[in-house]
Amino acid sequence: MPQYQTWEEFSRVAEKLYLADPVKACVVLKYRHSDGNLCIKVTDDLVCLVYRTDQAQDVKKIEKFHSQLMRLMVAKESRSAAMETD
Amino acid sequence: MVLLESEQFLTELTRLFQKCRSSGSVFITLKKYDGRTKPIPRKGFVEGFEPSDNKCLLRATDGKKKISTVVSSKEVNKFQMAYSNLLRANMDGLKKRDKKSKNKKSKATQ
Repeated sequence: MPQYQTWEEFSRVAEKLYLADPVKACVVLKYRHSDGNLCIKVTDDLVCLVYRTDQAQDVKKIEKFHSQLMRLMVAKESRSAAMETD
Repeated sequence: MVLLESEQFLTELTRLFQKCRSSGSVFITLKKYDGRTKPIPRKGFVEGFEPSDNKCLLRATDGKKKISTVVSSKEVNKFQMAYSNLLRANMDGLKKRDKKSKNKKSKATQ
């Protein structure tokens, strides 16, 4: 279960994982206000990628990524290839 | 597991975040959904079921209460705006890295 220290790496690998098998991939977000940390996990039931943070600047990135994946899931198959990465 | 409409889901999600401010975690799960409402029978007798491609399932829980909603391509625009705002407004307990970014800026100008 690889944990990533940099957001760049995590988002790249996580996106690839989702595109490889969109039906199996799943994104989990865990937020703890009392501890002040946020964790995002992307898995396809074989591989599991995790990124943890306690930095406010990462909230926007994580939320954007989450929305990006939501859009991918909701887009029809023919469009899913046309996706822009930051 | 309570299945809600998108708007109601957002309201309940806000409530979950507010409830967990002092202690506890909020878990949010996002997954592609093909619209099945019945489990696939083992003996491969697939009843007229058409997998749809443009939906996703969003779940949230605080460990005790569970809520969920299905988002389709028609609602995604409106839902996503409200959802992004919700996340950003509620996930505000994290550390701000002001000092480091200021240092980087001053180094860049020099």
